[in-house]
Amino acid sequence: MRSLISRIVPVLVGVFVCLAMQGCNVVRVSLNTTLGPKDVAFIIPGKTTMAEVVAKLGTPDSIGDADVGMVATYRFLDVKYSRVNFGWLAKPWTPVDPDLIFSRTGLGIDAFQVFCDAEWVVVQQGFQRHLTRPPFYPYPFQQSRVSPDGELPPALGLAIMSSHESGNHRSLTALSER
Amino acid sequence: MKHIWYTLCGLALCVLIQGCAFSRGTLGDDIKSELIATIQKGSTTKSEVVNLLGAPDRLVQLNGRDVFQYYRYDAKAGSLLLIILNFTRLSIKSDDLFIILNRDGIVEDVISSKRTNDLRFQFWPFD
Repeated sequence: MRSLISRIVPVLVGVFVCLAMQGCNVVRVSLNTTLGPKDVAFIIPGKTTMAEVVAKLGTPDSIGDADVGMVATYRFLDVKYSRVNFGWLAKPWTPVDPDLIFSRTGLGIDAFQVFCDAEWVVVQQGFQRHLTRPPFYPYPFQQSRVSPDGELPPALGLAIMSSHESGNHRSLTALSER
Repeated sequence: MKHIWYTLCGLALCVLIQGCAFSRGTLGDDIKSELIATIQKGSTTKSEVVNLLGAPDRLVQLNGRDVFQYYRYDAKAGSLLLIILNFTRLSIKSDDLFIILNRDGIVEDVISSKRTNDLRFQFWPFD
């Protein structure tokens, strides 16, 4: 009897896992190459030129007017979506088609901005949102990750204001003064 | 015994291929490198640029200078639809060309790069 149970249990577990996984979807959408602090570490405000930035990072997605000269923006996106349908577990035993879906989407939208003076020399640079890369994690009830104190750069120095086509103004903290 | 293995492998391959999907989308015209090479800094005029590349996708004013932006987006999606698990990955990259014209309408600088050249069809979303 014991040997029969020891044979059946792994089979049942396998069936449950397969049924649960049958409702699994993992999707990833990426726009341009995601940039991180290491990728932009070569930029030294006051020394690095825009030509050097373009040579390493490619052309920006947009160029705009700023009080100091111009601002180049590199936009990137890394969306991670995962979904599990636990309703599949009950399918063999019910006449209806039940759904119990857990899904979660992480929108990793960020942009890297480079401010240059009239001579095309970088004066400031920084990320807009400082997002951490979202994990594939379908459980939707967990609180989103909150940045601990000290992780985000403190607001040091004067903020540079740039004009956007939308008419909105966005400020960039002087990161180089950290 | 070998025949059974070959048959099983063939069946597994058929099942995997059956669950594959490839999609592609583009936005904008291809920005040809040879056309960009003909633009000379300090001599090419605004009208010559328009004749070569057409009207810009975006026109930006930069400290009194005109900046013509041309762009092209390329998207490649790969899906692996297995019986028990589905993977999908969509990658989008863009080619951008900026032509900066001085106040006299002469090309001052050209900034361009092609990011779509290394765009591949991918299935695996975890790397």
